[in-house]
This record gives sequence, C-alpha cells and structure tokens, in this order.
Amino acid sequence: MKKISVTTVILVLISTVAFAQNGKKYGEKISVKEKTNISTLVANPDKYDGKTVLVEGLIVDVCEKRGCWIEIASDKEFQKLRFKVDDGVIIFPMEVKGKTVLAQGIFEKQVFTKEQLIEQAKHHAEEQGTKFNPSSITEGKTTYRLKGLGAVIR
Amino acid sequence: MRHWRKLLRVLHRDIGYLAVGLTLIYGISGIAVNHIADWNPNYSIQKTTIVLDSIPKHLGKDEMTTFILQAIGETGNVKNSFRPSPNELEIFVEGNTISVNYDTKTVTQEKFNPRFFIKETNDLHLNKPKGIWTYIADLFAVALMFLALTGLFILKGKNGITGRGAWLTAVGFLIPLIFWYIFYG
Repeated sequence: MKKISVTTVILVLISTVAFAQNGKKYGEKISVKEKTNISTLVANPDKYDGKTVLVEGLIVDVCEKRGCWIEIASDKEFQKLRFKVDDGVIIFPMEVKGKTVLAQGIFEKQVFTKEQLIEQAKHHAEEQGTKFNPSSITEGKTTYRLKGLGAVIR
Repeated sequence: MRHWRKLLRVLHRDIGYLAVGLTLIYGISGIAVNHIADWNPNYSIQKTTIVLDSIPKHLGKDEMTTFILQAIGETGNVKNSFRPSPNELEIFVEGNTISVNYDTKTVTQEKFNPRFFIKETNDLHLNKPKGIWTYIADLFAVALMFLALTGLFILKGKNGITGRGAWLTAVGFLIPLIFWYIFYG
C-alpha cells in the first residue's frame, strides 16, 4: 500500500513538472521552429500571407461563448492579433486570459468592406454581450489574423 | 421469433441502462448550447462599472495597475496587464478582467465563474477532451441508434410498429423533413 502511495506521488510530481514545463496543448502539435514577431507579420502582410507561422504573446481576450478565438498581444505596444480556430476544433476556456501562448497558424490578410465590418462587429458584440453602434464604422479596412492550428498555453 | 424479440428486449434494456448517464449529459448540454445566443452556457459573467474621481494618467503600467487594484479593492492574483491603446489598460486577475479607460475614468470589472456541472457537460458534449472521448461518444451515438431501432420492435400488436408505432415513427421522421422543406425547399 505504502509502495503504491509513493509511486502515485512520484507520478503526480513528474506529470506536474512536465505540465509546468510544456504548458497545456491545444489542437495540432507545434511544428514551426522559429518564432515571428506579430509586429513583423503586420508590417509585411504580403510576405507572410498564407504562410504558417509561430508567434508568442500574452492572451488579452477570449471568445467568451464558444472559445473559438483568442487575441494575442503583439511585441509592439497597442497592437494585437486574432488567432481564430474552426468552431469545435479547439475550445479555449476563459481562464487563459492573461496567460502566455505559443501559437501556430496560417497568417491571413483580409480585406473587408464597411458592411462586412458592421456585420462582424455586430456578431462580436452579441458574443461578448456588449453594445455596438453601427455608425462607429465608417469605412472598410484590411485586417490580419492567424487561422489557428495549434497552441501551447503557459 | 420469440427468442429474437426477447434478445432485443434484453439488449435494449441493458444498453438503455448504460446510456442513461450520457443521455442526460448530452440532453442537458444540448439545451444549454442550443440557446447560446441568449446566454453563456459555460460561464456566469458579472460586469460592473464604476467611475473614479481621478486617474493619474502619468503613472506607468505597473504603478497604474497597483493604483487601480487599490481603488477597487481587488486583492486577487494579478496574472498580467495590457494596454490596448494609449488611454486604456487591461488588468488580468484570476477570474476577473479589469478594463480602465483613462479618459472617461471608468473601471469595468468582468468577473466570471464556470457554471457548475453544465460547463462539464458542455465540454464532453462538444468533445473538448478529444482522444479516447471521441470513440466513447461514437459508441454512445451507435448505442442511441441501436436503442431507437430495437425500440421499434419491443412491442407487437396494435401498439407495436405495425400499429400505433408506425404512425408515431412517421411523425418523428416528418418533423425534420418539414423543417428541411421550410428552410431549404
């Protein structure tokens, strides 16, 4: 009985240490070796459009209802990048907000019309339970995001 | 023929017993996520906003974080902070996100707690664990189909599939067919 208890404690300790080192994994295994700064991606969208990249940063927002996206703070101040996963493939819990993520995904440059942006913002407001004023959007714009493949959160 | 029906009844009964737990889990979660437009099925979230008398804009991020936490009496463990814009600060505390707007002097707290039991049922229903749970869910789906099909032949006579059962089964098929026709027809 004593042997079993000692073995259990050792196994729990080993798994705790392993978890602490590696973090919690979501989706596909990270395969890209080199990290790219979010600011570099945003500054060179045509170069990285459609490429699979690895970024690291602080999680500053999470899709509250479906857990289908997170927003990652850039290395550059006041900048962030959305990491969007297909519904149900990865579900991020709200508890990850404020933690650091290593995220692998396909960088996408997206050009939106004013109408498309209003529709998106309306959907976002519904998801987050916030209010949205359509007149706050006056023109279309180009946005960037990562189509999420895999992530490790520490 | 009698043996065949008896075997169906025994299998229907025992597999039915095995499926009770998962059926309740999937049923509860099904209702919860079906109404996702109206509520958050995983977390209860309380948002409160207060307006401070003043905010010392000149403070750095760390000093401002300390100032805001003291001002609102938040003593939880600070995970990190972020500045979305020059006039905004977000502070991440365990179970609480604090958003500060320097211009309006508003401090919004968003406290969240996982919904007891319902979040766990949603995690299983939406296959969050992945791995072996995928196969358990597949087995459960097969079991449900088996229960539905064997259920057709449990009774014989006027309440069986050749009588009342045929009509009710037809209604069961008609319900999705009518909706398909309305939405896609």
